Amino acid sequence: MVGGFRDIIDDIGGGLLFLGRMLSTLFRAPPRSHVVFDQIWRVTTNSLSTTALAGFFVGAIMTVQFTLQVKEFGALGYLGGLATSGTIREVGPLLIAFMLSGKVGAFTSAELGTMRVTEQIDAICCLGANPFQEIILPRFIAIILSSFFLLAVGLFMSIAGGLLLGIVFSGITAEEYLRHIPTIVTAPSIAGGLFKCLSFALVLASVCTYKGFTAAGGAKGVGRAVVSTAVATMVGLVIADFITTLVSDAVLAIALQG
Amino acid sequence: MNEDASTAAESLMRVPPSDPASVIGRQLIAWFGHVADFLALFGQTLGCALTPPYRARDIMRQFHFVANESAFIIVFCVSSAAMVTIIEASFHMKLVIQNDSMVPGFAALLILRELGSVVMALLITSRVGAGLAAEVGSMQVTEQVDALRMLGIDPVRFIVVPRFVACVLAGFVLSIIANVVCVYCAMLVSTLKLGYTAGSFVTAMRAFVDLRDLAFASIKGAAFGAVIPVFSCYHGFRCKAGAEGVGLATTNSVVATSVAIIVIDFVLSYVFSYLY
Repeated sequence: MVGGFRDIIDDIGGGLLFLGRMLSTLFRAPPRSHVVFDQIWRVTTNSLSTTALAGFFVGAIMTVQFTLQVKEFGALGYLGGLATSGTIREVGPLLIAFMLSGKVGAFTSAELGTMRVTEQIDAICCLGANPFQEIILPRFIAIILSSFFLLAVGLFMSIAGGLLLGIVFSGITAEEYLRHIPTIVTAPSIAGGLFKCLSFALVLASVCTYKGFTAAGGAKGVGRAVVSTAVATMVGLVIADFITTLVSDAVLAIALQG
Repeated sequence: MNEDASTAAESLMRVPPSDPASVIGRQLIAWFGHVADFLALFGQTLGCALTPPYRARDIMRQFHFVANESAFIIVFCVSSAAMVTIIEASFHMKLVIQNDSMVPGFAALLILRELGSVVMALLITSRVGAGLAAEVGSMQVTEQVDALRMLGIDPVRFIVVPRFVACVLAGFVLSIIANVVCVYCAMLVSTLKLGYTAGSFVTAMRAFVDLRDLAFASIKGAAFGAVIPVFSCYHGFRCKAGAEGVGLATTNSVVATSVAIIVIDFVLSYVFSYLY
């Protein structure tokens, strides 16, 4: 138990040092832009279909959930606005980020872990190049940018999923569904959702590059790195969700007062 | 593993395509080859799982990894997702019709019918399935699978079956644990944040769900658990050489498993809707 606790503290400290080294590399020796764009292209095309599917599924579930509740009060007209707002504010980003962590996180940590285990990273150091500049930082930046984009696409797809289930399951027309979306979904809730997406992208990128970079011990070590990436990312996402809710509530309260 | 079908499909794919129809046709052939290979692996796994020898110690070791070590993280994540959903639902119901009296009942309904099992299965996919695909992929790349075959050991029986049995049992058990803890957390958040008493929550809940829902949720969990290791091992066995191959096998297995889980969930929900 004590050992486990010490491991957690160790991980947090190591991760922060890793982030610091990454930040200093970013200013002192920024990576070449075409490498970054290569990585962005790879991550985005790899995960676009999964994210879209996850978003579709989340939107569908939220619509079913709200249909059952609203039907009792005969307020089906509000269904579209309610389901969309409910998805975008908190549930959508969290669930889609869970899905994305399984995909992007596992891929990146497996790749970096295999590079570490097969001594490709050491080879780069031997050649006098900086592995942070060549390998880690391009992936880190690419994962942040494309995860943010993918989460936004997922949220957009959740509207489509909600619309489809609204027509099929609750029997209202597309116009009825779409009419109340602008009245209930406000700019602050969209901004809050996108803020959450950004912070989740940050958590995802830092955890999977750190765990992949510090993998050790052959094929089993790569598997271990992938598993611990998944666990650490999930816990990190839940904590980030909690913190961003507090922050956006506080910002909203200040904005309403002023 | 049906080696002939995959190699025939792959040799077809090597010729550069000339027109849209042949591109689509080749994709379809390759896809049917995948499906046939996968079904063969699934059937072989099932056959080996039901016939002795049973390798109980391996199964227990895998079960400990899949169930015991995942239990905390899965319960933690599923519960937080459920709590977030409830708070959002209540907030929006109050926003529109100033009445959130239906929230507890429907929250319990949502958790037991969909959220609990599906989110649990997706989390197991990214924790267990991805690791498994990476491990089997590395074994394939470093020719450990071929070594097993040379020694006359069936890799399906040796690698896949213990994980398959462990994942089915773990899916069944974890589904029950996750759903019960989830409902408890829903009760906690409704009493602490939304101003219900525990009694009113339970009364509202009992109007919508009963023990049958928990049984159906656990059946779903077992079905999801059966899919996860077979997909992971399938992609692991087909892993191409190199660091990128292992990563790609991992990603492909996570995608395929997630899609399969969502499809199976829709099918099972449809079947169960006739049993209420």
